[in-house]
Amino acid sequence: MKLFKLLTVALILSSLESCIKKEPLNAECDIISATMPGDILNRQPVIQNDKVTFIVKNGVSVTDLAPEFELTPGATIDPPSGSSHNFIIPQHYTVYSEDGHWEKVYTVEVQTGNNINLDFDFEHVRINNGYDVFYELDRDGNEILTWASGNAGFKLTGMASSPDGFPTFQTDNGRSGKCAALVTRSTGGFGAMAKKPLAAGNLFIGKFNIGTALSKPLESTQFGTPFMNVPRYLTGYYQYTPGETYCEADGGKLVPVPGKIDKFNIYAVFFEATPDMEMLDGTNALSPDNENIIAVAEISDAQRVATKTWTEFNIPFVYRDGKEIDLKKLSEGKYSITIVCSSSIDGDYFSGAIGSTLLVDEVSLVCLSQDELKPQQSQE
Amino acid sequence: MKAIQHITAALAIAASAFTASAQGYTTPGLEWSSRHGIHYEVNAGLNIGGASPIPLPAEIRKIDSYNPNLNLMIGATATKWIEPTQRWGVSVGIRFETKGMKTGATVKNYGMEIIQDGSRVKGNWTGKVQTKYSSTQLCIPILANYRINSRWRVNFGPYIALALNNDFSGKVHDGYLREGNPTGNKVVFEGDSEATYDFSDEIRLFQWGLQAGGSWLAFRHLAINANLTWGLNNIFNSSFKTVSFDLYPIYLNLGFGYAF
Repeated sequence: MKLFKLLTVALILSSLESCIKKEPLNAECDIISATMPGDILNRQPVIQNDKVTFIVKNGVSVTDLAPEFELTPGATIDPPSGSSHNFIIPQHYTVYSEDGHWEKVYTVEVQTGNNINLDFDFEHVRINNGYDVFYELDRDGNEILTWASGNAGFKLTGMASSPDGFPTFQTDNGRSGKCAALVTRSTGGFGAMAKKPLAAGNLFIGKFNIGTALSKPLESTQFGTPFMNVPRYLTGYYQYTPGETYCEADGGKLVPVPGKIDKFNIYAVFFEATPDMEMLDGTNALSPDNENIIAVAEISDAQRVATKTWTEFNIPFVYRDGKEIDLKKLSEGKYSITIVCSSSIDGDYFSGAIGSTLLVDEVSLVCLSQDELKPQQSQE
Repeated sequence: MKAIQHITAALAIAASAFTASAQGYTTPGLEWSSRHGIHYEVNAGLNIGGASPIPLPAEIRKIDSYNPNLNLMIGATATKWIEPTQRWGVSVGIRFETKGMKTGATVKNYGMEIIQDGSRVKGNWTGKVQTKYSSTQLCIPILANYRINSRWRVNFGPYIALALNNDFSGKVHDGYLREGNPTGNKVVFEGDSEATYDFSDEIRLFQWGLQAGGSWLAFRHLAINANLTWGLNNIFNSSFKTVSFDLYPIYLNLGFGYAF
């Protein structure tokens, strides 16, 4: 009898196991990797959830390019992988999932040479997934730079119900027109559970990799875009109001640190993009021993203070010892630049004061003009 | 583990009842009952089983682990045997029991929503899911009984249960979430990143189902019992939509009873 009962138990359990159904077809429709035939790329393609950016070498014509894509197994793409298109303007590709229930439209763009602008006024945003995404236009009104932020990560917390509830958003009362507002926010229950109890407002040139935001947050902020100028100064205007209580993150909890006042950070890094380090990230963007860094412009501690009026900053790029710009590499697009702003300087370690607010406007990269570059070339 | 304490205390009381009346029909009440074909039994046992979707949805790819937990049961049954043969009888029982389990599963593209302190994370999960379920219930079975011979009897009938103290919680880990739907942002959970959930407050208070079992009288007073209880409604309130499929409690109860 006992044996019979034990057999019954075993039967129930094994029958549950054997009830496992045939694996469902894939519902995802991702571009997993992308390539271009020929040796025309200057950087690895940047693949985001709905966008692929190819950065081609100087002088490459973009009118007839045939990118190739690897997709989620079983998914299909239209137009087909390997078909030729004119990438003077971005093209749209639709990926269909294996199970036929889902599709996703990717914008595929090709960046050529040095096409980022040098002045940033934060007048343009679009709302994506519920939050503001800043972008910049060139003289012809084409979008040429999209600012990255950690908003996609904050979106996961479900704490914001409107764009201005996110850590990074556009607001009125800029020094001229509108400006960027960066606010350190609580990440609520989900953030505490994920041991990331606050989110500093941040804005940077590069991309935010949401995939690693929970497991490797410092590596999820990827900094840099190709740059073919010699930067001299990072200038702009800011206002700063530190939040009331500075807290250090202890796992998912915030522990107040009496007397400590939050600080913001604004900096720019000019660096050489090498195959093993095409972009910088939160672990190495300011590291003294990072061999790829050529020059850094970082706001001084004396300026990281509260100010309720627009305050100018004018920070020189300081070259690292023994580092200089190789003009040949510069013209080949081997260098990159990033600008990073954060409402809490320790925000990458989830410490800061909730409510700290940094407003930024009229940021510029002051660079050597083409004329100034020439005498340097003749010196060589 | 308040529930376990409750059950332990109740078991102790039941055990003292055993010893108090182990000498046969010592009270006039029992004698009267016996003359009228009404027999009593107190019983105790263990529940082994789980709350499972039926059939398993295709999203569940693998059961990685299963722990039935130590689910205790104590109860009492009164059976009225129908004259003249006393072959058929009707019984009413009351039992206090725990139904629980711990499972680990691997899922693919499993729709889920995690709500915590006002935060809300919704999407499709591919990866590991750990679930802990424990429900302390007061259960009343009403059964038809059939005596095969002097030692064997079988029973069948419905039961109703009141879920008094519930825990349904767990975590997701080592996988990724597609935010919103399968086309949303992909967020990887690995290492020590995990998301917990707690649906304890969503367990249905009134549950019912069917029970079938058998009993073997090993000695004059000692019966060995086996009963399968099969829940016929979802363990969650019908307003609760986060778990996209219904979970039915299915438990095998193994135990013994003292027949007066």
